[in-house]
Amino acid sequence: MKRKLVLLFAILALVAAACGDSDDGDTTTAAPGTTAAAPATTEAMADVSLRWSTRPDNAEEAEVYRTIGEGLAEELGITLTYEPGDNETASYQQKLLTNLSAGTAPDVFWIPGTDIADFASRDVILDLREYADGSGHSDADFYPGPMAQLTTEVATGQPGNVLWGLPRDVSTFALYVNLDLVAEAGAPNPVELEAAGNWDLAAFNEVVDAVGGLGGEIRGYGQSNWWGPFGAWINAAGGGFFNAERTACALDSAESIAGIAALTDLYTTGSVIPYGDDPEPPFRAGTVGMFQNGRWATPGIRTVDFNWDVVGLPSGPAGPGNWLFWGAYVVNADTANPAAAWELVAALTQADVQAQVSASGANIPSRVSQDALDAFLGFTPPANNQAFLDGLSQNPTTEGPLWSGSWPEFSNLMGTEVQAVVTGATSIEDYTANICTATASAFGG
Amino acid sequence: MTTTSIGSSDRTTGLPGWYRPILIWRVLVALMMAAGLIGVLLRRGIVLDGPLRWSLAVTLLMFLGGSLVAVIDTVRQRHLGRVTAFFIDFLLAVVFSFIAFNRMGMFTGLDAVGEAFNGNVAWIGIVVLGWFISGFTERGGTVNESLRNIARYTMAAGVAVLLLAMGLLPGLIEFGRRLFVADVIPIAILAAAAVLAARTMWSDSAARMFSTTAAEGETMDGLLFVAPNMLGFLAFMAGPLFVSLFISFTEWDGLTDARFIGFQNYIDLFSDDLFLRSLRNIVVFGAVAIPLAVLPAMLLAHLLNSKLPGMKFFRAVYFLPSIAGVVGVTLIWKQLFNSTVGFINYGILKVTDLFNSVFGSGFAAGEPQWISDDSIALISVIILFVWQQIGFNTVLFLAGMQGINPTLYEAADIDGAGPWKKFQKITVPMLKPTTVFVVATTTILALQLFNEPFILQSPSPPSGPGNSTLTPVVYLYQNAFQEFQIGYASAVAWALFILIFGVTLLYFRRSGDDGVLSS
Repeated sequence: MKRKLVLLFAILALVAAACGDSDDGDTTTAAPGTTAAAPATTEAMADVSLRWSTRPDNAEEAEVYRTIGEGLAEELGITLTYEPGDNETASYQQKLLTNLSAGTAPDVFWIPGTDIADFASRDVILDLREYADGSGHSDADFYPGPMAQLTTEVATGQPGNVLWGLPRDVSTFALYVNLDLVAEAGAPNPVELEAAGNWDLAAFNEVVDAVGGLGGEIRGYGQSNWWGPFGAWINAAGGGFFNAERTACALDSAESIAGIAALTDLYTTGSVIPYGDDPEPPFRAGTVGMFQNGRWATPGIRTVDFNWDVVGLPSGPAGPGNWLFWGAYVVNADTANPAAAWELVAALTQADVQAQVSASGANIPSRVSQDALDAFLGFTPPANNQAFLDGLSQNPTTEGPLWSGSWPEFSNLMGTEVQAVVTGATSIEDYTANICTATASAFGG
Repeated sequence: MTTTSIGSSDRTTGLPGWYRPILIWRVLVALMMAAGLIGVLLRRGIVLDGPLRWSLAVTLLMFLGGSLVAVIDTVRQRHLGRVTAFFIDFLLAVVFSFIAFNRMGMFTGLDAVGEAFNGNVAWIGIVVLGWFISGFTERGGTVNESLRNIARYTMAAGVAVLLLAMGLLPGLIEFGRRLFVADVIPIAILAAAAVLAARTMWSDSAARMFSTTAAEGETMDGLLFVAPNMLGFLAFMAGPLFVSLFISFTEWDGLTDARFIGFQNYIDLFSDDLFLRSLRNIVVFGAVAIPLAVLPAMLLAHLLNSKLPGMKFFRAVYFLPSIAGVVGVTLIWKQLFNSTVGFINYGILKVTDLFNSVFGSGFAAGEPQWISDDSIALISVIILFVWQQIGFNTVLFLAGMQGINPTLYEAADIDGAGPWKKFQKITVPMLKPTTVFVVATTTILALQLFNEPFILQSPSPPSGPGNSTLTPVVYLYQNAFQEFQIGYASAVAWALFILIFGVTLLYFRRSGDDGVLSS
């Protein structure tokens, strides 16, 4: 018995030794429901310990974030623990929600722009306005679209005097072009067409038809079937998912229907990758002329062995119809160190940090900073990196949540209906008649 | 297992000396449970929200009930009081120790202990040396005591050096420091008191006082042996299961307070088109995939059961899909299914070309959209599932076939039975227990389908074109982690559980009726 006790005690002592003396186990987080203190300017930063997490786009970017974390710990003089999030398909969202539910979420974490309303309305994230106001922060340093969502009041659904976080990065769509296939088809070069100001839907269709006409397994174009790619067609036609107040469905407006009709027409030509098939593998295999995707696809596309570049989305009746995708660093409402957490958010979104991330190629800086943009432009190929930045200046529609409704439910219902009409399972007339009824439950209807 | 002897008797009452303190402890425990329960219900001292609050309340209520039984039957000196008291004290010792260690931050150091061990593992060489020396201590029936002591001390020195190298001394200091810094002394005292009380109730003296029979004593021994496993089961299986059952009766987003809504989630399920669609999909999936994953596996096992050369190689080959990671395998199949550059459609094209060139026909090769066409997307998932399961089922059938008494086949040979007759009349009936097991496990896996459609459809929504690959678990996932409807998702989970339980029960009842399980 004594031997067992000695052994148990030795094990406990070893565990304690392994813990070191940096963690007393009772000082890092407040109890759930604790109200955040006023700006704690007196917080002794040396004693502050923060955990932060983000969802990298690839392994290389995860390593960049780790390095950034080490640098910021030194810069801010705090103990900083980086908890790398998994990628989108490997449960970042599930783990975050589970941690939040259990009260073990990091002090600072990243969420997609479409989730801001869900988190803010449930008091899960902290309003950082009072900390920001005392720090020299200016909302104008970031692109206005994401900032409008990040300053939206829960009660009104309109921008007000709150700040839910700062955008980590932004992204836009572009078309990845297989220049070898375009040349082989004798089609005009889309990059040159865009430079000449002639890159519209007619020119786009001409290139698609020409490349698709090569026959065999060659296709002119491909896009995925989530809300972003088909939404770009709706945007380009002057339509949108919601009304101006984002309180009701606008998918049955004449403009929105025109966008979906144009997309449906394209898919009846047979010159494109079947709707719903992942177009990236065939593009990388060299059998697709153009492929629509965001900046995050660039590192993967760089491995192909044919000539390629990117070009902006073709102009529709209302312009290119691009999206402005974004995600934000937010602060856990239960953090014990709100002031330090704000400083971390500000530091993670400063220009030099964004330059480090964008230099790895997957994202565009969210801060309107020439230094950060220069770092982004330096990541070549593609030669025409400017296409992504042009997307930012061509009045893109900002990805955003529903402040009075459920965005996940809306996007699921909408995706099913759009899939049906694009693949011919539903007529455009039936789609027009039913689309807003089918998605009404997302608004509580 | 033997019980220990504790304490002396009080000469005036005839009761053992430990009886009064134990009785006081029992009353204290009951009061603690009552206070804790009131604290949780009134949100005084214990601030918890949502299902966690109610789960803790139910747990405390059960402990309170047990404590009252323990108090009453301890006074009456009945065996039930001893058993109840012992297990309450045992659980309290575990819970209080866990709380104390957690507050001391001990659990965060477990990984680091592994690293420290890895970094100093070379010192184990001294222990190995001592063990090696011990091998020479006995020669020709005589023991060399000096050499044995050298071996013993060498091994002890090795362990000591290893512990010191891993940081035993600073660890002792840190452990002592945390005991005070983390403010756990009261909890540690409670844990120690619970241990002492449990040990007392375990003693011979308690056994005599509570008139415990030999059979009852053995039952206690048995319960104690299974206690670690039961604790794990309660904490990680039964506990979450019942919490999820409770959650299914609430409207809860996982982040804010839950609202009890009775059976509303279950009522909503029956009018939820998407849930009904997911049920329809999984029934269709199961109806096709389960026979395809079972029947060919039986035939394959029959082939692999022959004594032809190279059969071991083929057994390994067929088993490979079962041990391959489902994510990696599904990603490979996703490439194969690609309608424009996938190998499956390429194969269809080449076979059609060959057919046309041989027969001079002009058939056009189809280009099925395996993943994006709502009429065949589920078939793609079935193909993948069957491919993964068939190997494992084959191995199970093979094991079953190798357990069949060979004299049955010999007798059949004498009777002039052919291979098909032997398979039909001996192999299939004798494999019935295995078949029941294979069908039941395959059914459970089929009804829980999630990974395959989730990965196969990415980056598209996992529900697939026209919701054709929407399964109950995918729907559960969408509700829980995309739409913040944890309560509703829990109801989906329990509806699925009832379906799986019902089907499995049906299998086993049918098999039981046939006497399969008893055989």
